[in-house]
Amino acid sequence: MEVLSSRKQRRGIGLDPRTTIVLLLMVAVFVLGGAGGNELIWARIILACVPVVLLLTSNNKLKCIVFVLVYLLGYFLQFYVLGHLTGILNSLMLATAGMITSFLPGLMMGYYAVSTTTVSEFVAAMERIHMPEQVIIPLSVMFRFFPTVVEEAGSINDAMRMRGIAMGGKHPGKMLEYRLIPIMTCSVKIGEELSAASLTRGLGAPVKRTNICKIGFGLWDILFLGLSICIVIYWVLILIGVRV
Amino acid sequence: MIRLENVHFQYGDENENNGALHDINLEIPSGQAVLFCGESGCGKTTITRLINGLIPHFYEGRLTGKIRVDGQEIQSQELYDTAKIVGTVFQNPRSQFFNVDTRSEVAFGLENQGIREAEILKRVNQTVTEFQMESLMDRSIFELSGGEKQKIACACVSTSSPEVFVLDEPSANLDVHSMKLLHNMILRWKQQGKTIVIAEHRLAYIWNLIDRVIFLESGKIAKDMQPAEFLKLSETELHSMGLRSNNEQKISKMHKATDIKNIEFKDITFGYKKGKQILDISKIQIPEHEITAIIGHNGLGKSTFLRCICGLEKKCKTRMIKNGAMIKRKKCLAECFLVMQDVNHQLFTESVLDEVLISMEQEDKEKAQEILAELDLLEYAGRHPISLSGGQKQRVAVATAIASERDILLFDEPTSGLDYKHMLQVSAIFQKLKAKGKTIIVVTHDMEFIEAISANIIELNTNSVKNYAQKEFREEVDCNEKEKLPAEVI
Repeated sequence: MEVLSSRKQRRGIGLDPRTTIVLLLMVAVFVLGGAGGNELIWARIILACVPVVLLLTSNNKLKCIVFVLVYLLGYFLQFYVLGHLTGILNSLMLATAGMITSFLPGLMMGYYAVSTTTVSEFVAAMERIHMPEQVIIPLSVMFRFFPTVVEEAGSINDAMRMRGIAMGGKHPGKMLEYRLIPIMTCSVKIGEELSAASLTRGLGAPVKRTNICKIGFGLWDILFLGLSICIVIYWVLILIGVRV
Repeated sequence: MIRLENVHFQYGDENENNGALHDINLEIPSGQAVLFCGESGCGKTTITRLINGLIPHFYEGRLTGKIRVDGQEIQSQELYDTAKIVGTVFQNPRSQFFNVDTRSEVAFGLENQGIREAEILKRVNQTVTEFQMESLMDRSIFELSGGEKQKIACACVSTSSPEVFVLDEPSANLDVHSMKLLHNMILRWKQQGKTIVIAEHRLAYIWNLIDRVIFLESGKIAKDMQPAEFLKLSETELHSMGLRSNNEQKISKMHKATDIKNIEFKDITFGYKKGKQILDISKIQIPEHEITAIIGHNGLGKSTFLRCICGLEKKCKTRMIKNGAMIKRKKCLAECFLVMQDVNHQLFTESVLDEVLISMEQEDKEKAQEILAELDLLEYAGRHPISLSGGQKQRVAVATAIASERDILLFDEPTSGLDYKHMLQVSAIFQKLKAKGKTIIVVTHDMEFIEAISANIIELNTNSVKNYAQKEFREEVDCNEKEKLPAEVI
C-alpha cells in the first residue's frame, strides 16, 4: 500500500504534477462542487471524461472500465429508476446515485494523481510554484507516513482477530479504544524515528534544495491547462453577468 | 576525529537511568573502527546520538560536557551541518527512509545540501556501481526485504561521503547472508579511511573489522580494549560480560525429537502478485510438543509463512492436520497464537491483568494471576502495557497466549535486538512453554538462540522445506559457506 507512486518512469501521457493538481482542483470545483450551474453542463461532462482518458493511457485500463461502469450505473439510476420510486427508497436512491455521479470523477482523478506522482516529483512541483518549505516538508512526510500507518493498522487488525476481539465478539464497546491505542503508540514511535533519520541527513538546511527528478510541461500539459483556463474564464464571465 | 570530554547525559527526568551516561572521556582518532557494546540500556545508543547530534538537538535531556567531531562542537552546531560530516545508519529499516522510491532516497542527503544536479547523479551512480545494487534502484521501499532496506540505508549514507559513519544496531533484523553484505559495506568504508562507530549486540559479523572495543556498563566505560586484548576473549568471557558470541555458526548440540507426533500443514501457497508465488509449499511437518525453528534468507516470506500457518492470511488455503483431523483456515486461528515481532501491535488494554483477562474464555482473575506469576509479571499486573520494557511486553503477549489456551505458539523474531541476558530469558520462557506441552514454531535468524533452545530446524525455500536435526544442519552450513564465500565478497 502506497499513497504516492514509487515508479520514476512516466506512464501514459505523463503529465506534469502541477497540471495534475490543477485538473484535480477543476474536477473538484466543477463536477463535485457543481460550480457554474446549468450553463456549465458541457464543461462538467468534459471534465468528467478527463480522468477516464488519463487512466486509459496509464496502464490502468481495468480500473478505468470499472469506474466508468459504476458511473454509468449511477447515471442510469438517477435518470431512469429514480422517477419510479417513492418514499424512503426514493431518498436512499437519490443519495446513492447523487454520490456516485458527483464523487466518482473526483475520486478517479485523485487516484490518477497519486498513482502516477512520486514523492520527489510532488516536492519538485511544489518548489516550482514557490510553495514555502514549511508546507512542502510536512506534506511530503505525510505521504510517507500514511502507508506506514496503514501497514501498522493491518498488523493490529491481525492481532485483534487472533485474540478473538471482533465486531460481535467480546467487548464490542471497546473496539475503537483497542484499535486506536496501539496505532497511536506505533505511529508516535515511527514518526519520531522518521524525523530523527531525516534530520541526520540534513533536511531543513537553509540552502536551496536540489531535486534530481525532472518535471516540465509538454504538449498534453498545455492542452489540459488551456482547457482548464477556458472553463474558468467562461465561469468568471457568467459570474460577473456577461452573456456569452 | 571524535572527542568526548566529561560527558554526562540523562534522558528526561532525574530517575530515568536507562541509557544514561556518566563521566565519559573518550578520543577516537581518524580512521578507527570502534565497537560499543554492553547490555541493553547501557548507553551505547546514547553515544551514537551524541556523535550525530540528535542529542541535544532532537532528544532532550540533561547534558554536560563537550562533544567535538572534526573540531566542531556538536552541541552548538546545527544538525544539517553535522549531517555533512556524520552519516548514520539506524536499527529499524522501516522508519529511516524519507522517500518511497529508492533512487530519490539515495540522492536525498545530497539534495538537502543543495549540490548541483549533475554532481548528484554522478555520485549516486558511483555508489550504485560500487555496492552493486542496480537491481534495487527505482523500486518501492515497501517491497524490499529487511536486508535490502539496510543496504539502501548504507548506500544513502555513503553517497554523501561523510568522514564519520555511525551505525546503531544495524544488524538487528538481518539474516546471516545480509549481515555479510553489511560487513562488506563497512569494510569498504574502512578501506576508504573513514572513522566508524558501531553500537551492536551481534558481534560475530564485525569482529574482524574493528580496531577497538569499548564495553559499557550502566553508562560508564568499563573496558576499553585494543585488538590484542579483545581478540583473546573467549566465548565464556563474552557471555559473562552479557555479550553475544563472536562466532557465527555454532550449532552443535544434537537434538532430534524422539517418538515424533507431527502436526502437518498442507498447501502453503501465497503470492502478492498474480503469477509470482512467494510461498509454494505443499506439505510441512512440525513435531508436536517440540520447538521448531524456521530459518531462511531475508525476503523469503518467513513472516508470511507464519501468517499462513495460523490462518491470518485469507488468500492462503492452508489446512492443518492434527491428531488425524483436518482443520480449516478459520479454525486454525483458534488453535494458534502468533507473538509478533513488534509486540506493540498486540497489546490493547489499560493494564497487564486486563490483557490476560480478555484472552480467557471465561474471565478468571485467580488463574490470570497464576499465569502472570509464572512469567514473573505479577508485580506489573496493574501497569499499563505500554509503560513496560520490550522484553516485558513480549512476556505479556506470551501470557495472553497461555490464557487463551492455544496449543500452537508462533514467534516472529523474538530475539531481534536482544543482548545475551535477555536472549537467555526468552529461551527460558520457551523451555517453560515446552514443558507445558505447547508446540512452538519460531522464525529466527539468531543461531545462538536456536542453540540455546535446542530446536529442530527447518530451512525454508520458496517451494521446498528441508528438515534438519541440528548436527546435520551445521555440516550442511559449513560446506555451503565454503562454496558461497568467494562470490559474495565485493
